[in-house]
Amino acid sequence: MIDLIISTLTQGFIYALLSYGIFITYKILDFPDLTVDGSFPLGAAVTAVMLVNGFNPYLTLLCALAVGAAAGLATGLIHVKLGVRDLLAGIITMTALFSINLQIAGSNLAVERAVDTIFSAGPTMMLFGSFSLIQRKLIVSLILVILFKLILDFYFKTKSGLLLRAVGDNNVLVTSLAKDKGRVKILGLVIANALVALSGCIVCHEQRAFASTMGTGQMIFGLAAVIIGTTLFRRMSFVKGTTAVLTGSVIYKACIQAAISMGLPANLLKLITALLFLVILVIGNVEKGKGKKYAGA
Amino acid sequence: MKKLLCMIMIMAMTFTMAACGSGSGGDAEGSGDVPVIGINQYGEHSSLDNCREGFIQGLKDAGLVEGTDFAIEYQNAGFDDNISAQISQNFSANNVAIMCGIATPSAMACFTAAEDKDIPVIFTAITDPKAAGLTEGNVTGTSDKLPIEAQLELIRKIQPDAKTIGIVYTTSEPNSVSAIAEYQEKAGDYGFTIEAAGVTAQAEVTQAVDTLIKKGVDCFSNLTDNNVVGVLPSVLEKTDAAGIPVYGSEIEQVVKGCVASAGIDYIELGKKTGAMAAKILKGEAKASEMEYETITDYSIYINSKALAALSMEIPQDVKDGAVETSEE
Repeated sequence: MIDLIISTLTQGFIYALLSYGIFITYKILDFPDLTVDGSFPLGAAVTAVMLVNGFNPYLTLLCALAVGAAAGLATGLIHVKLGVRDLLAGIITMTALFSINLQIAGSNLAVERAVDTIFSAGPTMMLFGSFSLIQRKLIVSLILVILFKLILDFYFKTKSGLLLRAVGDNNVLVTSLAKDKGRVKILGLVIANALVALSGCIVCHEQRAFASTMGTGQMIFGLAAVIIGTTLFRRMSFVKGTTAVLTGSVIYKACIQAAISMGLPANLLKLITALLFLVILVIGNVEKGKGKKYAGA
Repeated sequence: MKKLLCMIMIMAMTFTMAACGSGSGGDAEGSGDVPVIGINQYGEHSSLDNCREGFIQGLKDAGLVEGTDFAIEYQNAGFDDNISAQISQNFSANNVAIMCGIATPSAMACFTAAEDKDIPVIFTAITDPKAAGLTEGNVTGTSDKLPIEAQLELIRKIQPDAKTIGIVYTTSEPNSVSAIAEYQEKAGDYGFTIEAAGVTAQAEVTQAVDTLIKKGVDCFSNLTDNNVVGVLPSVLEKTDAAGIPVYGSEIEQVVKGCVASAGIDYIELGKKTGAMAAKILKGEAKASEMEYETITDYSIYINSKALAALSMEIPQDVKDGAVETSEE
């Protein structure tokens, strides 16, 4: 049982990085960014190729951030500079990335056990060598998810971060401050997709594999995590957005794990998870109560 | 009103779960000290189902009794890599005795989840275990490499004048990519050229078929490509209209309307895998010490109805050794 909790938490933490990204685009910028389904496997593809070719596993984290940022930049430029609608700009990048990912990785790739990952390479072993592998996975992903949470929390308080939040809430204000809202949007997409690709990178370390289809549905997952998290904590204003999203991500993965543990057939799995969300959201609304007829998310 | 709705939802959910829980049957819990074999099947798909049935049969053939010597916990991932990973982690957390991964992505997920506890992993329905990184460690199983030379020979016998074979395949499936390479390498020996059309998704398969028909291929040959097999009926609709025969890669495809196939029997493949699992369970061998086995036996399957619809004749010597799949 304890093993199951550890691996569920690990999954929740790793995918929380992706949810942070979607939190930025969807919740802060109000931008439905479909690039995610392509930038997530992009991070994994780059990681898999680097690991197979013997690069330092920690270096893959930086490279994934960089390629993810480039993907976000592409969507941003297509949307802002070429004037393509937000949804379509994401779809264009996502579609292009499917081919690019395969071009990078050749085809679906496996990373052999002999290759060290961030969970088993020297520095990790030096610090946490006495723990078992699944415990190390939990510790490393927890460190990463907290680290990026702190960085983001700090960033949202800087001038640039405040501008980012302003674009989503009231972009007239941004223009009146003589700032280019297009540039702020691009920046938001760059940060978001860097985080998404980082999440893909860690999943690749954890699963030791890249599959071209691994991005399918990640956008939906992230969206659900963001909405679950923010709905649950909507009355507690002292809880930061990142904390809420992190919780949402863990809840989502826990729902799926619970459904699997109950021995439900996969065909029904999604239905059950959908029902669980609905219950969480409805309860959230009932608590908030009184007169609001639609979710404010 | 809202509270009422909420209550209804919760009740609906509880009932659904209760219904599913009792229906799933594979209750591993509560069976005491019976070693549990966790089967992670990538999706529901007739060839993979045959593998699983054969696997369980293979365990029984080795003298083991389900319920007292072993229990099966079967989960299928619905072709979703994330679900496949969580299923495997679930198996690992429940300390199953053996994990069985059916199809490459599931086997890889099992192997990753088993690493920490060194749970033996057994795989089946994998074309290239080496490329999947499943040759080193506490892992073994069976490989289902296509009998490509036999298939080329079969096509040559049935269509002595054919020149080009069209093949549609998914560019991201390693199994398909390696099969295409082998087809291209060996086609020349039998006087064929290969016209391959790569797709990235199931929705593109019929378009690729149209393209190949236009290029004037003399026949189609299928791989075990999940995307192509998934829309086989609509592929056959197009090829029938164009009067071009399609050769399958295993029996299920011939049953669905391909004219013939030199293919391996997935039940047999599963049985062999089950026999290996039985050895591990009995403690006679370790997965880390067993080499994976490639099935090379194949049978010829024909579908006379499909052949007749295209007014094709097949030589008597092919007919004699073949298994007829259409009922007349």
